[in-house]
Amino acid sequence: MADRQLDATLAASAFQKQWFADLRRRVFDDRQPYALLQADVPFELFDLVGFPAVSNQWWASIVAAKQQAPKFLDAMEANGLHGDLCRYCSLGYASTRYAGAGEPPWGGLPTPRLLCARLTCDCIHRVFELWADTFGAEYFEIDHPGAGDLPPRWWELGRYRWRDLVEPHRLAFVVSTLERLVERLEAISGRGLNRDELRERLELVNQQEEVFDAVRRLIAAAPECPVRMTEQISNVMATQWVRGSEWALAHARAFHDEVKQRVDDGVAACPGERARLMWIGAGLWHDTGFYTAFEPSHRAVFVWSMYLAFGPDGYIRYGLDDPMAALASRTASFNEYLHNPPWAAEWIVHQAREHRIDGALVLRPRSMKPAATGRLFIERALEDAGIPVLPIEADVVDARGWDADGARAGVRSFLETRVF
Amino acid sequence: MPEPPVVASWPSVPVEIVRAAGFRPVIFRGASGPTPAADVHLEPGIFPSRLRRLVDDALAGRLADAARIVIPRTSDADYKCFLYLREFVRRGVATTLAPVVLFDLLQSRGADVPAYDVARMHALLDELSLASGRTPSADDLRREITRANTARAAARRLVRLRRSVPCVAGTEAFKLLAAFWEMEPDRYVEMASHAASRIAARPPLAGPRVLLTGAPVDGHTLHEAIESHGAVVVDEVGPWGSGAAGDDVRIDDDPVAALADKYRVDAIGARTPVDSLRRLTESMLNDVDAVVVSLPPDDAVFGWDYPSLRGVLQARRIPHICLRGDPHEAPTPADHAALHSMVSAASRLQEARHG
Repeated sequence: MADRQLDATLAASAFQKQWFADLRRRVFDDRQPYALLQADVPFELFDLVGFPAVSNQWWASIVAAKQQAPKFLDAMEANGLHGDLCRYCSLGYASTRYAGAGEPPWGGLPTPRLLCARLTCDCIHRVFELWADTFGAEYFEIDHPGAGDLPPRWWELGRYRWRDLVEPHRLAFVVSTLERLVERLEAISGRGLNRDELRERLELVNQQEEVFDAVRRLIAAAPECPVRMTEQISNVMATQWVRGSEWALAHARAFHDEVKQRVDDGVAACPGERARLMWIGAGLWHDTGFYTAFEPSHRAVFVWSMYLAFGPDGYIRYGLDDPMAALASRTASFNEYLHNPPWAAEWIVHQAREHRIDGALVLRPRSMKPAATGRLFIERALEDAGIPVLPIEADVVDARGWDADGARAGVRSFLETRVF
Repeated sequence: MPEPPVVASWPSVPVEIVRAAGFRPVIFRGASGPTPAADVHLEPGIFPSRLRRLVDDALAGRLADAARIVIPRTSDADYKCFLYLREFVRRGVATTLAPVVLFDLLQSRGADVPAYDVARMHALLDELSLASGRTPSADDLRREITRANTARAAARRLVRLRRSVPCVAGTEAFKLLAAFWEMEPDRYVEMASHAASRIAARPPLAGPRVLLTGAPVDGHTLHEAIESHGAVVVDEVGPWGSGAAGDDVRIDDDPVAALADKYRVDAIGARTPVDSLRRLTESMLNDVDAVVVSLPPDDAVFGWDYPSLRGVLQARRIPHICLRGDPHEAPTPADHAALHSMVSAASRLQEARHG
C-alpha cells in the first residue's frame, strides 16, 4: 500500500476500524442485532430501523488486504469446494466457516441476526445459504428479475427519469420484495420504518453523491490527477456503507474540499503525469500497491475506477414522492450497469472520454464468472474509441497464483508499446 | 409443412405454450465440437456448451428461420446470453437473427415470485401469439397441457423401468427421456410406449446402479463412460433424463398459472433452490449404489452443494467421485480410472448386501 496523500483517507480508514469495533461491542455487549449484506442491497432500510449492516464485499476486501484470504480459501478447497467457484463473494463465508484456518481481521465477524442478498449471480443463493447455516442466522433473498429493455445512456435516465430505466413489472417486483424485507426488519428490530425518514435519507444520499460527482468533475478536469484511485476508493467506500448518515455526508464534503484544495494548489498525485489509466472491475484488494507501481517509473497514474464514478451515476434519484420505488429503481439493475452489454461498455467509454484516459486495464476475473461477462464488449468498445486496453487476469481477493512481478512487467510493456 | 421453430436455451420454457401458439419447440443442447463464431464473443469458462452452440448458430445465420429465440432466466449464463444476443443485433454483428425474448421465470422462494411468474408466462404467451398471429384460448392451452401430460405419463413409465431394478441402460434411457422435449407429444407417447414395452420384457441389468448429479447434463457422453465400467446409470438430477417428465401440469380454470407453477417448481437448473435439489437428490439415493458428481469447468453453482452431498454419501456408505471435465467430451484416463475404482467399490458393497 502506497503512502496516503490525503488526510481524508486516514480519517476514512480510522472511521471504518472504529465503526467495526463499535459494532462488535454493540453486538456482544448490548446484544444488538446486525446484518450481513451483499453490497447491492439497500443498506438505508436497515439503518433506518436501527439495524447496522456489514457489506460482504467490504469484509472480503479487508480479509484480502490483511493477506488472510489464501488461508481461508485453502481451507475451503480442502473441504471439497472446487477452485472455479467465486472467491470474492464467498471469502467472508470462508472466514466464518473455516475461522481457525487464519486470523479474521479485527476479531472477526460476530454472529449476525440476518443475512440478505440479491440473487444477481447464481452462486449467491448457495453462498448465503451456507453462510447463514454456519451462523445459525436468518437469510432473506431479493430475487433479481432480468432486464429485457435497456435504454441508452442509463446514467442520465437514472437521475430524473428512473421510472423509464426499469421496466414497470421489474420495478413493481423489487418494490414489493423490499416491502417484505422491511416487514421482516421491523419485526426483528421492533422499530417501524418511517417513510418520511426514508425520503429524507435518500435526499441525503443524493447530496452525498452530488459531492462525489463534484469530486469526479475535479479529477476529470484537473491538468493532473489530484487524488490517487486507491484513495478515491477508500474515501468513497467508507461513506457508501453508511450513506446518507451525518458522518458520511460530512466526510464526503471534507474529501471534496481536500481534493479541491489540491487542484487549486496545483498538487498532483503524481507530478509530471504522462499517462492516465482506468481500472475496470473490482479492486485488486490483495495488491493495492499495484495501482501506484507505475508512478515512479512511467508517471502513469490510475485516475478512474467504478467506485467513485458509480456513486453519482448509480445512486442519485430525484423525485422522491415514492421513496421505496426510487430505491427499488436503483437496486434493480446494478449488475447490468456495471457488467453487461449494452450499458457497461457505453458508460465506461463515456467515462474514459470524460477523464481523458490514455489506457484501460480490464480485470479478467479468475473465479467471478458473472463479473467476467461483458468484458469483451467493454474491451472492444474502448479499443474502438481509441483507448488501448490491457486485460489483467487476476482474482480480486485470492493472491494465490497472482504473479505480481509479471503483471507489473506486462503493464510497463503496455505503457511503452501502446500508450506512449 | 412443419410448424416454424421457437428456439430455447433450456427446457424451462413451457413447451405447451410454444405449441399452443402454433410453433415447434427446439431446445438447444450441448455437444462436442468447435464453435468458432461464438468463441470470438463469449468469454471462456463461463458459458456452457449449449449456449456456445446457440450463439454460434445465431451468429452464423442458422437461426434465421426461427420465429423467436426464447432465453429463460434459468441461469446467469442464460441471462447474459440473452443480453449478448440483443447486443449482437444492435451492433449489426448478427444480421439475420430471429427476435430474442427473455422469459424471466424466477424460482426463488419469495412471496411475490409466483404472481410475477404468472405475469411473465402471460407475457410470453402474448409475444408468441404476436409472432404467429394466433392467440390460443384457455381451451387450446388445456389441450396442449393434456397432450404434454400424456407424454409425461409415458416418460414416467420409462423412468420406472430404469430405477430400482433397472431393465435399461442409462445411455438408452436418457435418449428416450430427452426426446420428451424434442418430439411432438402424440409421437412421443407412441415411441415411448413401444420402448417401454420392449424394455419391460428384458431381464434386469446387473452392475451397480449409479446416480449422475452435480451440474445437470444435457447429453449422454457421461452415461456411456460410466456404463463402460459395468455400472448402470439409473437416475440423473436434471431436466433431460429422469427429470424430463416430472409431475403433471394441473388442469384447471387458469392454465397459464398452472404452467407458471409447474415450471417454477419443477424446472431444474442453476437457480433452483438448493433445498429442493437436496431433497430431490436424497430421495434418489435409496435406489443407487454409487454417485457421480459432474462439476464442469463452467460450474459456478453446483460445486457449492458438494461438501454437504459428500457428507450424506459418506454417512450412507455410498461410493462417489467428482468429474471436473466437460460432460460432452470423453472423460480423461484419470477419470476412467476413478470411475473404475468407484464401480469396483460399489460392486463389492452390492455383493456384500446381497450375499
